Amino acid sequence: MIHLSEEELIAQVYGEGDHAARQAHLDQCAECSRAYAALRSDMAEMNFLEPPERDAFYGEKVWASLSGSLPAYESRKGNWLRIGLWRGLSYAAACVLLGACTFIGGRLWERQQVRHTAETNPQQKQHEAVPARTRVVVVVLGDHLDRSERLLVELKHADAESTGIASPLREEAQSLLAANRICRQNAMHEDDAALATALDRLDHLLQELTNQPGGLNAATLARLQNEISADGLLLEVRVLRSRLPSQRTAASGQTKGGTI
Amino acid sequence: MRVSNVRMNMDDHAAIQAVLAGDKEAYAVLVVGHSARLFRVAFRITGNEADAEDVVQEALLRGYRKLESFASRSDFGTWIYRIAVHCALDKIGCSKGTESVPITETTDQQQDGLQIADQAAGPERLLLSGEIGAMQEIAMHGLTPTERTAFVLRHLEGCTTEEIATAMGIPPNTAKQSVFRAVQKLRRRLATLKVKT
Repeated sequence: MIHLSEEELIAQVYGEGDHAARQAHLDQCAECSRAYAALRSDMAEMNFLEPPERDAFYGEKVWASLSGSLPAYESRKGNWLRIGLWRGLSYAAACVLLGACTFIGGRLWERQQVRHTAETNPQQKQHEAVPARTRVVVVVLGDHLDRSERLLVELKHADAESTGIASPLREEAQSLLAANRICRQNAMHEDDAALATALDRLDHLLQELTNQPGGLNAATLARLQNEISADGLLLEVRVLRSRLPSQRTAASGQTKGGTI
Repeated sequence: MRVSNVRMNMDDHAAIQAVLAGDKEAYAVLVVGHSARLFRVAFRITGNEADAEDVVQEALLRGYRKLESFASRSDFGTWIYRIAVHCALDKIGCSKGTESVPITETTDQQQDGLQIADQAAGPERLLLSGEIGAMQEIAMHGLTPTERTAFVLRHLEGCTTEEIATAMGIPPNTAKQSVFRAVQKLRRRLATLKVKT
């Protein structure tokens, strides 16, 4: 028979582990039973170190000695407010940063996209190659020729008896006169003889239309219509206008019906 | 200084919430409610009234500082009790350190203490004068701080092995072995002292 060790006997006193199995052994083994009884007796004497009684005010005395050295906790409400404020500021800063990044990113992307488009689109590239001043002149010239053509058509089909149209025609002619001079000077500067000649004849017609001392009467109207037909001025303006289709297309959207 | 009756009616949880909300005085409820129990266990571990008083104050001070981390996860009494056990363990650990080496009287292979002839016969004189408490105190001195604390918690405080392990921050098996060793040592020392009488 294997006897119980001292550790097992101690565990038995404290009721730990397999209490029932050890008790069964103790019931059968006289030697272990004696050892167990001795152990219990010894352990029963170990109830020493009984603490001295404290009076009813002991806790309050302890508090009196402690309270002076305890710092008060900050209110949680205050903490939450402070945390909330910081959190709000953080969110606001993050939003501002995000907005700034988006804006800068958008600008950079736009520039890159324009550059990319210019590199990949030859037509755009060709357009970019044309000097800005030239583009302006082409637009102005195209617009001027359009308006001149309309004026000539109206003048050619004007009825001598309908004097109501005389005044608008003169006003339009006066308006075109200044633009015509600029276009003519530019044509001469560019050595475009055909254009300069046509614009010179147009200038003559516009001056006559504008500077009639007695207004636009039937005789004057007939004479001007004859001049238009004889000189083929209307046809010439149309031909000149047809020379500028691509430039007009390129410039469309930039200027619409502009008047100098 | 009397703690008001209104405050005394607060339970531990309400008192903790009040303290954390900035009402320092509410901690008085916890101090008054738990000081006596803390003193008992502190005295049993340290074996000294003055040290026990220090342990109680230190434990309650630590408890106040760590109150935010407590967060009502368990019973405040259990939590502060555990802190007091740690403080007491620290206390007797320090005391052991200042005593340099423990002086023992018996030949115990498990003890590292210095074996000397006790010519001053302190135990004998005390025993002869019939001071049983002093004899028991001498027997307790032969234990290491861990053994002494584990024994007090098991034998006098009635804690389970798991509770001892949790309170002392050691594995359960270590706690169990510490109790066994403490009982064995105490039996032998008390037997020796009895023979001398």
